Amino acid sequence: MSNSILEGRDAAGESTADDTVTNTAADSPASTTVMSMQQALNRALDEVLADNPKAVIFGEDCGRLGGVFRITDGLQAKHGAQRVFDTPLAESGILGMSVGLAMAGFHPIPEVQFDGFAYPAINQIVCQIARMNYRSRGTMPMPITLRVPSFGGIRAPEHHGESLEALFAHVPGLKVVSPSNPHEAYHLLKYAATRPDPVIFMEPKSRYWQKGEVDTARHDAGGGSPTGAKVMREGRHLTLVAWGAMVSRCLQVAELAAEDGIDIEVLDLRWLKPIDAEALAASVRKTRRAVVVHEAPLTSGLGAEVAQLITQSCFDTLKAPVERVTGFDVPYPSGDLEDEYIPNIDRILFGIQRVLEYKRG
Amino acid sequence: MAEISFPLPDLGEGLIEATVLEWLVSPGEQVERNQPLVEVETTKSAVELPSPQAGKVVRTYGGPGDKINVGEPLIVFEVPDNTAGIVGTVPKEEAPKRRVRLSAVLDED
Repeated sequence: MSNSILEGRDAAGESTADDTVTNTAADSPASTTVMSMQQALNRALDEVLADNPKAVIFGEDCGRLGGVFRITDGLQAKHGAQRVFDTPLAESGILGMSVGLAMAGFHPIPEVQFDGFAYPAINQIVCQIARMNYRSRGTMPMPITLRVPSFGGIRAPEHHGESLEALFAHVPGLKVVSPSNPHEAYHLLKYAATRPDPVIFMEPKSRYWQKGEVDTARHDAGGGSPTGAKVMREGRHLTLVAWGAMVSRCLQVAELAAEDGIDIEVLDLRWLKPIDAEALAASVRKTRRAVVVHEAPLTSGLGAEVAQLITQSCFDTLKAPVERVTGFDVPYPSGDLEDEYIPNIDRILFGIQRVLEYKRG
Repeated sequence: MAEISFPLPDLGEGLIEATVLEWLVSPGEQVERNQPLVEVETTKSAVELPSPQAGKVVRTYGGPGDKINVGEPLIVFEVPDNTAGIVGTVPKEEAPKRRVRLSAVLDED
């Protein structure tokens, strides 16, 4: 890191000290370190527990074991078994207890161990967590950050590779977010865990062990916002919209497309509820072409919502209908078949080609 | 690299502790899944505990004659980061491969 970048950050730090900065060590020049997403999430939770005495973490194997993905590793030893603890194998109980704790003034950070294990807790999430604030006329907020190791890609058995974002995004009262890299994971989790509203935090489990630079002092060098979407790569010809583990794959695709002279912009949607319609519009107004990529099945997936938002804002200038490259309308397959299910590089390139060669009329 | 701790498992029949008789592996050693790790004695019998996984031994707890309670740490392994989760494995990251090429006449209007 050069001195000029550091100076720029310090200067910007004075003028943009608003809620966009999750600031813990702004004066430390060594605030950028390389870590995995697992380490970034672990550190974020550690700091949340230290900052907020009302924060409590619990779930299956979250306590003594430190989580099956080591996300809560060491937190019980450091913060005590009153604040980081194991629950019975009963997701309805985990989320039901979260409701009671939130009513009592705590900030619960529960975990359901895998995406597919959230189904037994849908009643608590939809009928209580999502609407308690509404039902109580704002007197009973539900500051609950539900961590869900999500999406596929780890060769796991059934119920361990599902993409539930459309299900959660459809429920009024819930917010949904998914980080794409360690830096985003650290800052988005710290931000989510300070919200007064329930946030479903979807961790891309296939990215847990990939390392990346994390600047713990500042979310973005330019003082960016922890809300909304984020341009991960600028381009002129087409916008790839993705979230979670698909962002890094789209960045790979963008590099390959550049070999063919196609300049692709990659937009990390980050927040899946609410969706940043302005960022979609700004990007596609420039590129005039869009492909949305997700692991979830096609029908009623979030890609349809994204396509509509783009069509609404860019209908007059779009060069082609928005393409969707997604999983298939089948139950998530076993690990041996998941590479055929999850959008791969060639399927994304085919989607881009369909948009590029579209002819009107 | 990541570390995984393996506690003394429940040996059944309501036993709550075991006494280490002899360690069959030592720190620094690479062990395979199901390889005998340690011989322990309970009030019922002496048993060899098989390794729950492959990995490099970082440290062991307790010497011959020491009692260890069920659930307390027994041994710590070092494993590559992408196998540190208990469920599933992450395929090795490879350089992106493609079969599809793009072609387009881009009018810049």
